[in-house]
Amino acid sequence: MQPDGRISVLDRFRTMRETRIGSFAPVLLALAAIWAWFGLALPLWDLASGQADGFRAIFLSPRNIYNLFMQSALIATLAVGITTVLLLGEIDLSAAATAGVCAALLGVMVLAGMPGWLACLIVMAIGIVMGAAQGVLVAYVGIPSFVVTLAGLLGYQGLMQKILPTGNLNVGDPFVRGFTRVLIPDIWGLALGALCIVLFAYASLQKQARRRALGLEVDPPLALWGQVLAFGTIVIAVIVTLNAYRSLPLLLVLLVGITTLLGWITTSTPFGRSLFAVGGNAESARRAGFNVNRIRVAAFGIVGLMAAIGGIFGASRFGSVSYTAFAGGSLLLEAIGAAVIGGTSLFGGRGSVWNAILGALVIGSLGNGLDLTGASAADKLMVSGAILILAVAVDALSRRDGSTGQ
Amino acid sequence: MGPESKKVGHSAPPAHLSVRGIQKRFGGVHALRGVDFEVARGEVMALVGDNGAGKSTLMKVLAGAYVADEGQFFLDGANVSISNPNDAADLGIQIVYQDLSLCENLDVAANLSLGSEPVKPGWTILPRILRPLDDLEMEVKAKEAFDKLEVRTLQSVRAKVGGLSGGQRQAIAIARAVGADSTVVMLDEPTAALGVAQTRQVLEVVKRLRETNHAVVYISHNMRDIFDVADRICVLRHGGNVATYQRSETTPDEIVVAMTRGRANEVNDAA
Repeated sequence: MQPDGRISVLDRFRTMRETRIGSFAPVLLALAAIWAWFGLALPLWDLASGQADGFRAIFLSPRNIYNLFMQSALIATLAVGITTVLLLGEIDLSAAATAGVCAALLGVMVLAGMPGWLACLIVMAIGIVMGAAQGVLVAYVGIPSFVVTLAGLLGYQGLMQKILPTGNLNVGDPFVRGFTRVLIPDIWGLALGALCIVLFAYASLQKQARRRALGLEVDPPLALWGQVLAFGTIVIAVIVTLNAYRSLPLLLVLLVGITTLLGWITTSTPFGRSLFAVGGNAESARRAGFNVNRIRVAAFGIVGLMAAIGGIFGASRFGSVSYTAFAGGSLLLEAIGAAVIGGTSLFGGRGSVWNAILGALVIGSLGNGLDLTGASAADKLMVSGAILILAVAVDALSRRDGSTGQ
Repeated sequence: MGPESKKVGHSAPPAHLSVRGIQKRFGGVHALRGVDFEVARGEVMALVGDNGAGKSTLMKVLAGAYVADEGQFFLDGANVSISNPNDAADLGIQIVYQDLSLCENLDVAANLSLGSEPVKPGWTILPRILRPLDDLEMEVKAKEAFDKLEVRTLQSVRAKVGGLSGGQRQAIAIARAVGADSTVVMLDEPTAALGVAQTRQVLEVVKRLRETNHAVVYISHNMRDIFDVADRICVLRHGGNVATYQRSETTPDEIVVAMTRGRANEVNDAA
């Protein structure tokens, strides 16, 4: 491909994306660019042009970062779920509608006097059933997931309207509201962060020691400690920023916890390996002995579960359930956009749930930043569209590498 | 040497896997009309024939992908039955399909362990599919498999398969077949899409399979490759046996004639 032995920028970019940390790089760069634009460039421009008296870093203020994280949390929850079906090369268009149905049911149940925890568990079970039912249609009946979940989107939207004829219901249950209202005390938040960093470093060193003992290739120490340092910096920076405004909210701890669990399942268990195998080459996965149909149903069940959790988080954050906030709004496209901007391939077999979180932050930051600059809804839609196209173009360019290998 | 000695089973090493009288019909098409075939351990048996001669059908019958309508299977002389791919795998019969069945998005080690991933001990409360993968064990197994086959073209077992060459991919697919405790390895046109240097690499791996006492079935159209690597050559034509030749006692011309017109003496008899 490169007869003169030189490596083009594009090739270097592709090789970089193959490494574990490198797959974060594009979305992290996008996030940094957006934050630099809204947080530094625009305030400096205002200062220079005399429109502002002093440097006003509204976007990067702890208060705004806090709100940004909370706004992005619902998108991130759905995007993490959608990532699991994208890994298979399938898509789920019904996730936001599922979240809406689950949130509406939750609201109705707690209104009828059911304890909040029980209602949450029931709703999560219902979410799994709603997702898995679509999975059965995709896997065993053989309908393309696009069509099944499009029908699901319409059907579940209607179902949500049936459950909430007025289109709106307040949720005041203290357990449900607690997810967003409960704050981890500053010192405990820092302790939790420190614990995460120690565990991360311990696991990395442990693995390195085993590699050496087994005589396998060892990562250079610089890369190892670089990873630990980067991880530690991000964790501490986030917690300190949140503490500077209020504190670490329980919602974010739960979101990170669930994502860690799902990230571990998708990368470090035979089930997760089967997701990637089916997404990469379903026929080989079948020949290797994987039950492809059951894997598909399980993945759709996971989206259903994550959608239900998203519904609970949404009801908790808004203190109400409304048709427009879930099924009827832009939530679905934002969630799919977040997963794709994070670098998860629509063709299957490549991606990560952590990237979905970063992608959700990109989408959330765009909306938040444009709101702060007083942009209209029309501007927001157009910018979001442009960012999505950019992300898919990056995906398509790095994808081409694999298909020319043979 | 008379024509009889060219039949299956004569002046040959004792067969490891042998089949007798295999019949296979697809609707009105009679794809295999009572084919006999055998392969011994430490031997490369080439399977050749024109398009539609039944090579791939026979191989898929041996791999359990197709079920034979009639016929007997023997492994080391014992009568066995092969009715699905798991039967074949349990008997140690592995097939390397022409498309290789690799997942390009996974790394080399993951591809070698695909479907039989090792998990860490303990964690018995979890179902097996949710136990932690032992990915270092996977890398160790992959390195062992490549050392056994003396494959030195792969720099890292952590490289993604999507970025590797055709020859390297073929080596990975063969290593996977060998890694599964197999005794019979069947290769379907392994060099069809490869250049000269990569073909040589793959043929080295095939010879190495013979040295490790595997029974190798080698399907190919390429006479040069066959005469480089095969010990015996089984020719099929129109779903039936023509003959099995010792490589040292035949020539490419004789094989080509057998593939296209049947046995030379039969042609002479008819004339």
